[in-house]
Amino acid sequence: MANTVVKIDGLVKRYKDLIALDHLALEIREGEVFGLLGPNGSGKTTTINCLLSLLAYDNGSIEIFGKPMTPTSYDIKREIGIIMQNVAVFDELTVYDNIDYFCGLYITDKAQRKQYVDEAIKFVGLEDFTKFYPKKLSGGLLRRLNIACGIAHKPKLIILDEPTVAVDPQSRNKILEGIEELNRQGATIIYTSHYMEEVEQICTRIAIMDKGHKVAEGTKEELKKMIKNTETISVEVRGLTDEIREQVASLPHVYLAEYTDGILKVCCSGGKHNLIRVLGVLQEHELHIGRVYSELPTLNDVFLEITGKALRDKED
Amino acid sequence: MFLHNLKYELLAGFRAKELVIWLLIFPIALAVLFKVAFGDIYEKYEVFSSIPAAVVDIDRNPSLKSVLDGMESSGEPLMKVTYTDEEGAKELLKKDDVEGIIYAGADQLTLTVSGQGMSETLLKTFCDQYNKNAKIITDTAKKDPSKIAAVTSILMKETNAVKDAKLVRGNSNYYDEYFYNLIAMVALFGALIGLTVAVDNQANLSPLGARKNCSPTPKSLSLAASLISRFVLQTLCMTISVTFECFVLKIDFGDRLGLVYLAAILAGILGVSIGFAVGSIGTMEAKLKQTILTSVLMIFCFLSGLMDAGMKQRIAENVPFINRINPAAVITDSFHALNVYSDTKVYTEKIITMLIMTAVFSMLGFILTRRRKYASL
Repeated sequence: MANTVVKIDGLVKRYKDLIALDHLALEIREGEVFGLLGPNGSGKTTTINCLLSLLAYDNGSIEIFGKPMTPTSYDIKREIGIIMQNVAVFDELTVYDNIDYFCGLYITDKAQRKQYVDEAIKFVGLEDFTKFYPKKLSGGLLRRLNIACGIAHKPKLIILDEPTVAVDPQSRNKILEGIEELNRQGATIIYTSHYMEEVEQICTRIAIMDKGHKVAEGTKEELKKMIKNTETISVEVRGLTDEIREQVASLPHVYLAEYTDGILKVCCSGGKHNLIRVLGVLQEHELHIGRVYSELPTLNDVFLEITGKALRDKED
Repeated sequence: MFLHNLKYELLAGFRAKELVIWLLIFPIALAVLFKVAFGDIYEKYEVFSSIPAAVVDIDRNPSLKSVLDGMESSGEPLMKVTYTDEEGAKELLKKDDVEGIIYAGADQLTLTVSGQGMSETLLKTFCDQYNKNAKIITDTAKKDPSKIAAVTSILMKETNAVKDAKLVRGNSNYYDEYFYNLIAMVALFGALIGLTVAVDNQANLSPLGARKNCSPTPKSLSLAASLISRFVLQTLCMTISVTFECFVLKIDFGDRLGLVYLAAILAGILGVSIGFAVGSIGTMEAKLKQTILTSVLMIFCFLSGLMDAGMKQRIAENVPFINRINPAAVITDSFHALNVYSDTKVYTEKIITMLIMTAVFSMLGFILTRRRKYASL
């Protein structure tokens, strides 16, 4: 089993009466891309801030690389790269100077630093913008600069807190590909997001958070196995009666059949050939069938079933 | 690592537009505005110490002759007197060779002037004062002649008090005070860049602060580099301001320019440290801190008389302690001391006060900012 890189145990953080983190426990292993998934306000960023010893917490313990994390754990901090939600760069320094400055906080050898800075620029694809000031960069390029500043010193543990917020699709893909590449190069990644597609795409293990609690943890497959739903079938159909709907509901492995606005939604738990059986019932009654979908459960379904609400906020 | 931090802090500071605007362009523009606004008065003030005046019928008032002779022997006469008859005086006034004619009556002086200006006002003030003193002595002689000696002594003491003051060897121009105050204001503006030291290094005040706090660079080192960079920037700004006023606007700083530079630079450093300390106190947002800082500076300046010339004097009379701890008052006092006293005792006292204040504010900033976990971000 791989070494434990981060161990959080019984972490409690209160803001007056609000409990932001409620006895949170996490274990992140070397080489993982660990996703912290949850809606806004679920405690993801608070967890990261406690992890980095920026935020004082009320109870619990945090160990990184097997050592307790404190504000003066400089040996631990040297191995961590952080990409915050907010872009943190000097507006008055060029792209190159910004990366060199932040890399210089970790790497004192000038020659090595120059090499690392050049590699970071290449890695995020900012070769043509090295003399640009941040204010002249687009939102996506600015995010890439933010990432370059966080990873230039080649850290063993990289923490990315919602790095793709307000980023165009091209830059988002570039960022996600970059994260996977960093992981391939050996870095352990902690990735927080409320975009389940991103987490599903890049994370090897995921913790789902809600209201300061960890509501589920595991690989994508493990998480999806935790819920009843294994397949959701949607069929556009006209003239469906309650009698036919009940017939569909009584099929093996079907635990829910709803008919709303001309769409029959059928939720199945396990089993094979569910779609064929549902379509068979509809054809039997010679109903006109439109478009048909069969969807496997998503992390949103997992979240929905566990918490009773959708993962993503309406405005997202 | 310290030099690396310092290099980029300086680079960022030099490129900050706000710095250039508030610490260089604004004060220079204001100085130019002062110079233009005071231009005429300023030039006249240069020669007011020798207002040309004609005195008629001096034989009727021997006391006046004694006073005028006494003034002339002081080395800095208020008037350049021409004794003549009435016709001659009128001729001189007509040709603008004199600013006024003083008629020496037996009991009091009367004045004729051809215009309204500072010189005329000063001549009138002189005549009024003379008449007032003469009346006091005359009244005393009538009521109780035995007290004449005592009254005369008191009036003489007033004169001696003025003579005993150690005036500076060169410059004593009242209007230079405005430019000194302007330099003091620039110095206190340094607090705005001092505030950024705290903001840029505290995780709860800026993303930059959060990122720096995550790095293995000790916070004290990062803070020191930031603070020193601001000291350097402010020193440069203060030097440019003084140089501009001195060599471009030709403001007379006397013959102790080196001490003016020293006071200005230390004042600037004090301003930065005030900003650093205020920025480090509490957990308010950066913008709120900036508002508080600006308010504090305004209060300092108000109490030191930068807005109301009489305020500092009133404070000195009623709560003198405030003037000793108000940084703005200490800064203006240091320039004032150079302006008024020929020795450097008061100046040195103010410089030492500035150094102590700088140390206290800087230490306060370090203590409040260093090695901190935050309750909220």
